[in-house]
Amino acid sequence: MSTATATAVKPQQNERRVTIARAMAEAVAQEMRIDPRVFVMGEDIGQLGGVYGNTRGLIEEFGPERIRDTPISETAFMGAAVGAASDGMRPVVELMFVDFFGVCFDAIYNLMAKNIYFSGGNVKVPVVLMTSTGGGYSDGGQHSQCLYGTFAHLPGMKVVCPSNAYDAKGLMVSAIRDDSPVIYMYHKGLQGMGWLGTEPAATVHVPEETYMIPFGKAAIVREGTDVTIVGVGMGVHNGLKAADKLAAQGVSAEVVDLRTLVPLDRDTVFNSVKKTGRLIVVDEDYQSYGLTGEIIATIAERDVRVLKASPQRVAYPDIPIPFSRPMEQFALPNPDKIVDAFHAMKRA
Amino acid sequence: MVAVKIPTDLWEEDTEAVITTWLVGDGGSVSEGQLIAEIMVEKVQHEVRAPASGTIKISQPAEAVVAKGGEIGTIT
Repeated sequence: MSTATATAVKPQQNERRVTIARAMAEAVAQEMRIDPRVFVMGEDIGQLGGVYGNTRGLIEEFGPERIRDTPISETAFMGAAVGAASDGMRPVVELMFVDFFGVCFDAIYNLMAKNIYFSGGNVKVPVVLMTSTGGGYSDGGQHSQCLYGTFAHLPGMKVVCPSNAYDAKGLMVSAIRDDSPVIYMYHKGLQGMGWLGTEPAATVHVPEETYMIPFGKAAIVREGTDVTIVGVGMGVHNGLKAADKLAAQGVSAEVVDLRTLVPLDRDTVFNSVKKTGRLIVVDEDYQSYGLTGEIIATIAERDVRVLKASPQRVAYPDIPIPFSRPMEQFALPNPDKIVDAFHAMKRA
Repeated sequence: MVAVKIPTDLWEEDTEAVITTWLVGDGGSVSEGQLIAEIMVEKVQHEVRAPASGTIKISQPAEAVVAKGGEIGTIT
């Protein structure tokens, strides 16, 4: 299954290029047409269509009964989502910024994530929690985090993170049809919303008909032989740009888009590193105790002998995210840092 | 040949817009009424639709600043 990430600018016959924001809304609309249990709620998801555009057009088609603007109380509506899901509905609930999880985390990690287990499997909790991640546009340390590791660390939740519109649609359909809670984390810089910065390669051809992307299947978005670059979301685009720069230096980089953090496709990562012998993990989440360490541990545990050099990570430093633009840009992962990490690996 | 122009009735002031995304490729085929681009004015997104069917030639790329009525491409 091609993700077409690197070919977005090439015109093709009957091209239907779609932003991640539109792909998400399209997937939700198509599921709502066939399943009356699916509904959406969150802050500004009705008339406004979501501050990231991912619920545009829904209230016009489905009305305020199924597209429910909530008061600004994540505590209240996250609890409502868990209750509705436990009672047979299939809520898609938006947490506008993942940074706001603090006020509603008891409903998420003690109730949503655990009630299937606590009930011996008798209660399903089919919530899709969609939430925005990432920075790069000077919105401060409480609006710019990724927190992938925070959610992926705690058992009971699936965690997905699309890097392009094709994956965004298929992962959303799979999330809505899943009987377990799914945390759907979309990066603001990939939404196609101008004021958040725009990554054009995230806007790709998307079929109109519905389709699913299975969880736990990473995509090799670029093949290579000298080094494996692993990432999710924006990290995939940084990895692809780094691979272009490395290619100009005669280095062949393979780029792996994990697509889902839970479940994690450890086999694809391992097989790629077995082929290349070198590993760089890219993550916009904080470096320590997170995705980068988990990926490296996967290789170390399975067979450390496949490594020709010590793995490298290009992640967010363990500091609160600065508001100041130069300071934030200095701290963010970028393609040059990935290229530098490769050369550091070669020198060691 | 038909010009693709920024609509003049989407917002009230004479504020300029930014093309956030082209939803078709340069040289691609479009049909009349198809959504082809998104533009943004002060954090509000608006849609640009194809005024005719044919092959599109893009003259203003994504990120370009455009005024009401400004031409951003042509369809032949």
